[in-house]
Amino acid sequence: MLIYLIGGKRNLLNPTFKMHYYESSMITTKEGIHCQVYGNQHPDGKILVKPKYIPTDKISSDSLPYRFISGRKMNRLNLWTDKDKLKIYFDDFAKAYSKYIFKSPIHDTSPLFFAVPKEDIERAYSPSEGLAELMSIPTKDMDEHLKAIAEFASFLLKSGIKLKDLGITYSTLMGHYSPNMSDINIVVYGKKKFWDLMEFLEKNSHKDLRWKTYGEWEDFYKKRNRHMIHKKEIYIENMYRKKSEGFFKENLFVIFAVENDDEAWFKWGEESYRNMRVAKFKGKVMGNKNSVVRPGCYEITDAKFISGDESCKVLSISKVVFYSRDYCMIAYPNEKIEFSGVVEEVIPQIGETYYRVVIGYFDAYLDKRRDEEYIKVLED
Amino acid sequence: MVHFYESELVDTIDGFQCKSYSNQHPTGYVIVKPKYIPKEALKGEGLKYRFLFEKCMVRFNLFAKKDKLINYVKQFREKFPDYIYDCPITKNWYFVVPESKIKTVHDGRKGLQEFLKVPKRDLDEYLTLLSELIEFLIKSGVDDKNLGIMHSTLLGNYTPGTSDMDIIIYGKDNGWKILDYLKTAKHKQLHWKTDKEWAEYYQEHKTSESSHFTEEEYVRHMGRKRYEGMFGGTVFTLFTVEGPNETWFEWGEEKYDPLGTVTIKGKVTDHYNSHVRPGYYEITDGEVVDKEDNAQIDPSIPIKRVVTYSIPFVQQALKGEEITACGLFELVTPKSGEKYYRVVVGYFDAYISDRREKEFIKSNL
Repeated sequence: MLIYLIGGKRNLLNPTFKMHYYESSMITTKEGIHCQVYGNQHPDGKILVKPKYIPTDKISSDSLPYRFISGRKMNRLNLWTDKDKLKIYFDDFAKAYSKYIFKSPIHDTSPLFFAVPKEDIERAYSPSEGLAELMSIPTKDMDEHLKAIAEFASFLLKSGIKLKDLGITYSTLMGHYSPNMSDINIVVYGKKKFWDLMEFLEKNSHKDLRWKTYGEWEDFYKKRNRHMIHKKEIYIENMYRKKSEGFFKENLFVIFAVENDDEAWFKWGEESYRNMRVAKFKGKVMGNKNSVVRPGCYEITDAKFISGDESCKVLSISKVVFYSRDYCMIAYPNEKIEFSGVVEEVIPQIGETYYRVVIGYFDAYLDKRRDEEYIKVLED
Repeated sequence: MVHFYESELVDTIDGFQCKSYSNQHPTGYVIVKPKYIPKEALKGEGLKYRFLFEKCMVRFNLFAKKDKLINYVKQFREKFPDYIYDCPITKNWYFVVPESKIKTVHDGRKGLQEFLKVPKRDLDEYLTLLSELIEFLIKSGVDDKNLGIMHSTLLGNYTPGTSDMDIIIYGKDNGWKILDYLKTAKHKQLHWKTDKEWAEYYQEHKTSESSHFTEEEYVRHMGRKRYEGMFGGTVFTLFTVEGPNETWFEWGEEKYDPLGTVTIKGKVTDHYNSHVRPGYYEITDGEVVDKEDNAQIDPSIPIKRVVTYSIPFVQQALKGEEITACGLFELVTPKSGEKYYRVVVGYFDAYISDRREKEFIKSNL
């Protein structure tokens, strides 16, 4: 029986055993697809993912970059490639890997979800187990990339966070990183721990730590559709206060929060959703504690309809949900935001019906919604 | 008897990463050298650690200090007896992976074919260099379908500027075709170590193998080999492997009796199989020049072969040259044909015995 490592715990288990799959963990499927776990809550028997690298033996697209990984020519999924070509690719994917397309029974009209049936998991990579392993390597045997990670993690541990609550993910975890090129992607297990760590980073410095300059945020702003949504000065000002992204020894680092099972802001299956079409609103942020995870959310009050489907005009929106990490921690309580996305009626198993706006379902990347869905902070 | 290409990477269900170490194998097993072993499996004191695919791994190194290696092999044998094969026909032991323990075999040939499909615009600097190297090598006349990649290049955990480019050549004729081509071929990215660089290398990398050579002898032996060079500043290495129908021996067709450590001399009559692992030199006029006191040798039986498992001794001598070799002396009894003696250099047990310091193959260059 194989050993599967999830969430830092060693389990001599069958992968179908019920366990918590953390967002930002990595799994490979039996067909060789490299997937990023794309949520902290999952339907029974499946793991919601974003396919990251897909072998090219069944489907391929010249509009996506190619990578040579694990001895295979792979396409790297880029949601920001040409929309029409992405649609063709997704259609091909659905034909070649139909079992990885998940039709959600809790949505009246299912958005596009990718999900890996647990029995199709070839290997699950645990960020926390990976970092613990990495930190156990003698420094003399580390390359520059690993040394930088070990030093950065040691610095973060000074905040009081425990090593078991930190992880490392993406190329470092999977072993195909390039020193001096690959980012350092740190995972923090637990939302409160993440917020505490952000406070630590705000108040403490390190000789090898620096934050992005105005120019670097400006370059970031110019990419994707950010410049189409945000006013530059406000955007950069808001980005400056984020302490989840910077440079350590000139390696770009990004810190992600993931939710422990007992702190998830929603539980898969305890609510159902009715699609009310697309609309744009503005409102005031009441809470942003859940804005550090994927999917994340802002609690909203005083929401006002701006434009969109007329049927949404009278709806009182109380949550803004997003799947893109671009929108993590961009707004704080009492700040006003404008948001545009799919309006959903939420019917909880217990409690009252409410309305939310969702930004960044996968199908949004296939049409004009890609550029029209957003959250932005408004000038006071 | 089973054919399984030498130099192929094998992952085991216990988390080991191994490299096949022969082209012929006992039924039910693949002879391997363990490359990486999970840290929690064994204590790796004296060996290096690597972070590979989420795990801290111990890099198994036969050239680690002998006392550390002895301890490590002892632990290994006790903890993973299934991975040790006590061979009834050689009376020696091998690291093996039982077939039932194989998780994945990484196919170097298939890996290269996949790699060649990746558009050049999507290659990083390391893979761009690899692409150029392959283009250069196929000018020898060897088809890219008879080449493969291995190690970190194949698995994708290479480091540009640091990792070697390790190429497999499938087929002995193809191996010689490329090695001969490289004697004269030019490329702006290609560089062979000069005599001065080999001399510096000799001084900086003292090993048990090189200790049997003066600096001048070492330079002369290494300077004419073409299995390792520099391409665009990156080291490349060429490993020739035998196809299923061209192995120079078949497992189980001969039996071997070890007779002790012996030094012999002889004249090379054929070096055709000297570029594979294990490889050998066919010799004539073989004579024993030194031996352990208890080694019983029948002078009427000819010494016909010098066999090497050790890469530093491949392509060490050519037809017509006189060679001296020290290693384990074996009486070979074929199922059909006459008995003969051979000397074997580089069995696994040599690395943890006093043969480690004694074994060598040298030509009278």
